[in-house]
Amino acid sequence: MKNRRTDSSRCSDVLSRVLLAVLLALIPLQVPARQSIGGLPSPGEHVSQGSLTLGLGYARDTYLSSVRYNGTAYGIEFDKWRGRKEESFFRYSRLHCNLLGSPMHNRLGGGSTIDANFSVDWALLAPVIENDKDDLLLGPAFLTDMTMLWNRQNGNNPANAQGHVSLGVCLDNTFRFSLPSFPMALQATLFMPLAGIAPAPDYDEPYWYVYRYGDYMKVLHFASLLNTFAVTQQISLVMPVGRNSLKIGYTFDYSRDRLGGHSRYAAYNMFSVGYVMRTVKIRNR
Amino acid sequence: MNRRLVRILYAGVASVLMLMPVSCYRGGSLSDNEYANTPQGNFMALWTIMDEHYCFFDLKKEALGVDWNEVKHRYGQSVTSDMSDRSLFELMCNMIGELRDGHVNLSSPYDMGRNWSWKTDYARNFSKDIQDEYLGKDYIMSTSGMKYRILEDNIGYLVVESFERQSSSTRMNVMFNDMALCNGLIIDIRDNGGGLVSASEFLASHFTEKKVTVSYSCYKTGPGHNDFSKLYGNYISPASSDLRWNKPVVVLVNRGCYSSANEFAVMMKAMEKVTLMGDTTGGGGGAPMSSELPNGWLVRFSSAPSYDSDMNHIEMGVAPDIRIDMKDEDILAGKDTYVEAARKYINDQLVNP
Repeated sequence: MKNRRTDSSRCSDVLSRVLLAVLLALIPLQVPARQSIGGLPSPGEHVSQGSLTLGLGYARDTYLSSVRYNGTAYGIEFDKWRGRKEESFFRYSRLHCNLLGSPMHNRLGGGSTIDANFSVDWALLAPVIENDKDDLLLGPAFLTDMTMLWNRQNGNNPANAQGHVSLGVCLDNTFRFSLPSFPMALQATLFMPLAGIAPAPDYDEPYWYVYRYGDYMKVLHFASLLNTFAVTQQISLVMPVGRNSLKIGYTFDYSRDRLGGHSRYAAYNMFSVGYVMRTVKIRNR
Repeated sequence: MNRRLVRILYAGVASVLMLMPVSCYRGGSLSDNEYANTPQGNFMALWTIMDEHYCFFDLKKEALGVDWNEVKHRYGQSVTSDMSDRSLFELMCNMIGELRDGHVNLSSPYDMGRNWSWKTDYARNFSKDIQDEYLGKDYIMSTSGMKYRILEDNIGYLVVESFERQSSSTRMNVMFNDMALCNGLIIDIRDNGGGLVSASEFLASHFTEKKVTVSYSCYKTGPGHNDFSKLYGNYISPASSDLRWNKPVVVLVNRGCYSSANEFAVMMKAMEKVTLMGDTTGGGGGAPMSSELPNGWLVRFSSAPSYDSDMNHIEMGVAPDIRIDMKDEDILAGKDTYVEAARKYINDQLVNP
């Protein structure tokens, strides 16, 4: 009886060790690192920024309507910086995600459009200038942006998608300064696509024709600066609040294209409030 | 010196980053193809939207003598800065009304501008009261817009009032089971103003045993009056999992058959064992799209034309195989000339197939 109990407890002990090992292997453990306001992450460190955003959205899409729409926009924004290996040319990587929604109206308050925007940008960044006070980073970026516009008045052309999947550049700039004994950082970032693929209907082709006739390739266009201009611009102020950092920012997201015989744009002026958290990986998986 | 140069360069790049939003956003001013919200601006916006997107200018010029540039000149003279919204609306409705297209509308808080002369200028050839008499009180309602019963001479009578909703396989099977012993079927689509093309295709797919090319479609690819895509064939394949009708069918049509009902007439005309009987349909052979004027009024226009299997436009209607007009004496006697002619036709088919 006694032996059985010992075997049982040994068994559960081994099992819990195995479970712990599996958990350790699966979860990239991170612990809060020493907070440095506006500092770039060291190798293995992550700097995460999350924000709630509120602002104004503007859109015009001649496939749906010849007039422009605007409305209050709501969203969430997330950024994750990662410090890569010291010897890497691109010493940092950055993931930027943005989700926005906006009920819009035309200038006279008539008409009604619902707008949803989702973008994911990923960049590798190399330091051009890096010192105690200033950082200037530059690097290539993989950018995706999709805006869905739904005009509730229209029959056969009720919705359209604007956006792109592109290769582009990311430029990031940080000033660190301090008001008397109060460290702060001013960050400015620019994402700009240079070339990629963008969807647009072929002039007056209804989307149900695209589906009906299998005309999917006609919807995809080669996008370059000649027909598509887009920019995501962020300016944010990071300041310490207790042991954490607070981020107050402004994001300008703009895309404009001339594809499929249509003139389209979507723009957002968004103000954000969020947190900044610096973590370091225990295990570098 | 070098360090100073770097700092200046750095300050320059930073300034560009900061100021870019202000410099590139142009949402506050009128951009390309936008017109001012004035009577003249709204008039030009409407004329231009139609000019660049409407798909039947050549056809309307040939059939109705409409010259769109002349229309602009004629109506544009009457547009003044101080005219009321209601006057402007009336003027613009008259302008687009020249096209006599049921898919061309201007919607405002005052009214929905339309020209339905393609229907109202012709004999109606339809009486709802008489149709109700033929349906009786114990007809069966299938999908919304579809009613049927079996007439005394064992002929099925199916009334399709609208294609707004698509039927289901189950409902179609139930209906064909109910009418399995009938000698023929009359499908009455008179005064059916259309709805979903998919709904009309679904119904038509129950009357063929092979894949049939029923029509062709294309769409506008640019602002020119003749900028069109290649033609795409429209096919009807047999409804695979449902019962299908193999006996004689007569489709009753009148000027009130429009849009998807017009398409249905085209589809059925391409089928074997189907006879179109009645008056030419109202037309509506262009899939409509919508846009807006600077003052918020909604404009709808045909932008994707369809043709029958012989490549004829169907915008001006589909001619029946057998032309019939409602007789006054029949109407007075509570008889439907169309239904009676269809019954006689089917019964004659049984005697002389």
